Amino acid sequence: MQDLVSVVTLGSVYLLFALGMSITWGTIDILNFAHGSVFMFSAFSASLVLERLTLGLVPVLLIGVVVGALMSVLIQVVAFEQIIKRARDRRTAEMQILIGGIGVAIIPLAIAQHHTQSNPFGLNASSFTVESISLGGLRITNIQVLTVLLALALWAAAAVWLRRSRQGLALRAIGVDAQTAALMGVDRRRLALVTMAVAGGMAGLSGVLFTFSLGAITPESGDTLLVKAFACIILGGVGSMLGVAFGAYLLAAAEVVILTQTNGSWVEAVSFGLIFLVLLVRPAGVFGRKEVRRT
Amino acid sequence: MSTPVVQTDDAGTAGTAPVLELRDVAVHFGGVKAVDGISLQLEPGRIYGIIGPNGSGKSTLIAGITRLTGLTRGELLLDGQPVHDVAPSRLAGRGVARTFQTVRLLADLTVRANVQIGADARADGGRSRRGPTGWLRPGATSPAVADAIARTRLEGFEDHYPAELSYGTQRRVEIARAIAMGPRLLLLDEPTAGMNQTERAEISALMRSMRTGGLCQLLVEHDVQMMIDTCDYVFAMNSGRLIAQGAPAEVVRDPAVQEAYLGRKWREHADGD
Amino acid sequence: MSDFFNANLVLVQSTLTGLLLALSIQVPLRMGVFSFAGAGSYGIGAYATGILVLRYEMDALPAIALTALGTAVIGLLLGALISRLGGLYLAMATVAFDLIISVIAINGGELTGASTGLFGIITDFTTGQMFVLTVAVLALVAMSEVGRLGRRVDTVRDDPELAASMGINVRRYRLAAFVVSGALGGLAGGMNVLVRSTVGPLDIGFGLIVLALTMIIVGGSRSWKGALIGAVIFTWLPDLLTVIGEWQELVYGVIVAVAAIFLPRGIYGVLQDGTRWVQRVRRDRRAAARGGPVVDADGGLRPQEDEAAVLVAQAAEQPVRELDQLSGRTQGAP
Repeated sequence: MQDLVSVVTLGSVYLLFALGMSITWGTIDILNFAHGSVFMFSAFSASLVLERLTLGLVPVLLIGVVVGALMSVLIQVVAFEQIIKRARDRRTAEMQILIGGIGVAIIPLAIAQHHTQSNPFGLNASSFTVESISLGGLRITNIQVLTVLLALALWAAAAVWLRRSRQGLALRAIGVDAQTAALMGVDRRRLALVTMAVAGGMAGLSGVLFTFSLGAITPESGDTLLVKAFACIILGGVGSMLGVAFGAYLLAAAEVVILTQTNGSWVEAVSFGLIFLVLLVRPAGVFGRKEVRRT
Repeated sequence: MSTPVVQTDDAGTAGTAPVLELRDVAVHFGGVKAVDGISLQLEPGRIYGIIGPNGSGKSTLIAGITRLTGLTRGELLLDGQPVHDVAPSRLAGRGVARTFQTVRLLADLTVRANVQIGADARADGGRSRRGPTGWLRPGATSPAVADAIARTRLEGFEDHYPAELSYGTQRRVEIARAIAMGPRLLLLDEPTAGMNQTERAEISALMRSMRTGGLCQLLVEHDVQMMIDTCDYVFAMNSGRLIAQGAPAEVVRDPAVQEAYLGRKWREHADGD
Repeated sequence: MSDFFNANLVLVQSTLTGLLLALSIQVPLRMGVFSFAGAGSYGIGAYATGILVLRYEMDALPAIALTALGTAVIGLLLGALISRLGGLYLAMATVAFDLIISVIAINGGELTGASTGLFGIITDFTTGQMFVLTVAVLALVAMSEVGRLGRRVDTVRDDPELAASMGINVRRYRLAAFVVSGALGGLAGGMNVLVRSTVGPLDIGFGLIVLALTMIIVGGSRSWKGALIGAVIFTWLPDLLTVIGEWQELVYGVIVAVAAIFLPRGIYGVLQDGTRWVQRVRRDRRAAARGGPVVDADGGLRPQEDEAAVLVAQAAEQPVRELDQLSGRTQGAP
């Protein structure tokens, strides 16, 4: 049963992180390889602020969200918009965005590595303390409970946002067909910025929560998470909200099983192996609606 | 312009055995019947045209013939040999060349190199002599390329890049590339879109001049005057089916064609003429 | 010269392996195959050569040859599995492949030396041999960029559908990209382990992808010359940047980001645009002397009739065109 708690909490971190990536990829066609960098740097910024100020949980979370959103918007304006403007067609734009994301991601990583000498950093200076709660024999920390609740709430909110609101409709129209969306009078640029801000905010939030719950993270931890998020999205199917949640918890479950059954060093291979398997067997993902473009 | 551009190994068969035969060909996309049961025969040395309103299935039919789209049912015979299961890249070696509805030139290659891509396909299929065209010195032009460039009146543009050319000239490069393949069946998908009347007349004359080599041509075109001037025989399509065929002038006057293809408005215009 | 060579032996060696690694990702990119599998092949190559030398006491050259052959075969199998995937899916599948190789290296027990890796891989392999091998491979890659093969590769990348219509078997080219990438990556890894005498799990992995990509992006993605420029810059730059000292990583990051955004074809692309511009000016001067077509200031061509053609092209967008023609109205500007 304790393992179930691990699955749910780990899955929620993956979900919170992958949610932003899934939304930008599924709607505005941006697979943001700087997402892991945003995740890490938001938590890092919070730790910098905490070196000078003692803050409670909510302000620290807010710092993470704001830094994440700002970074994401900045990357969109400075990098991705420029690439899209110059690219010859959609295929080259996709590749340039991936490569550009990898390039941009080096910068925050370099700053954080320089400052921390590549050592793990944490948020222990916060006035908020992580405490264990016992629920019917199960141990769970307050931050884990918060992570699970926030992940599910934001996931539901994003799903409703995408399904109901005018903006959501416009976004899904872009995801379906850019030309139709333009004809419908959708302002692509503004929508893309809003989407990137939301995605970045989620990355920042998950960064702070994850750092709280682990105690400390290394500047490089964003990269690993990036590949895992990709696994979640691929598992469920690009653009599917149900899919990304399914993917996140399935990946967490698979990892926890491997962790408890073996000595643990194969855990990292799970997500990579799953990506491979799903792409071969069911390229559109379990809940995918769009056919994977080939060639 | 007097030498036939198209080399045919079997010019003696011209006029009788069809180059291409379609038997009950259909291409469905889910529930959409883009092409639905078309049968026709194309003979060597003739120019055929396909007319039909947008969405009538003309381009899908071309895609089906060139194997870029799979057939839902039906048979495709090239020189009497079934080719509906052949990979699209094999068709080029068997003498099928095409141009595309949109200009598809490689931006980083010069006009000469773009046309050379067509000539590159020749040596492969073994239909024409294997030449040293693969390793041309920069600036050198192989005979097939020089011929295609001369026929499409692109002399002087050999070292230009596509972006430096007007739209009409780019389209001529497209045609030159297809001619350089030395085809026996040439499919032209709206080759004169964006050209002025003089250029259209030139393309029309070029197409007619190529008949003498036994080349079979299939033209998809919106310009009805171009159709009448160029084609020997015209098929009219609507909703994926053939609704009329015959001499171009007759097909254009066919009430069913006018109704389906051009609508009532056109008839009023035509009557008023 | 030889003093310089000896003093910078390690950097020269790194340039050569870096170049081959960059090529192992550039060659598939040039064919429009977005594969990072070269980095995984590098990892396999490094370990395979190390194991062949350490455990089977093979000589350097046979070990490298066997390694490159092996990684080429693995490339073929990988390609057969995933070459049908498109764009980003293919890219991520190959990233997953690379990372799985790292995990296997850590979990390989005695065979791979687990987290400490392999040590003491000492042979008679010289930098001279390394240089000759690299130049030979470079010559082969360069040959794929000119003549008919070069044009075909360009066509397969830019327009696969057009390539198929031009008689090019696109699938075969895509598979070849995986094979060549595998051989190049394996060779790079194998040679590196022979000159360094050691390999560990930290030497392979995601960092390799980033390194190879930065070389290609900054140098240029369309030619081996670009890969060479990139390999030289990113092998020697960190050394030169010690002047900037502690902010070296940041400068490195900014260079990569700026190149990725503003110079998609890299430094070599900029040089190429320059030569092309010079060629064009010369050509037009010649043409003008002969009275042929001339390119005007904005780069657009304006031979006699083409201005009208542009107008017609615009008019062609109007759906009323056919009606106008048939009703005898003159066509042209709307």
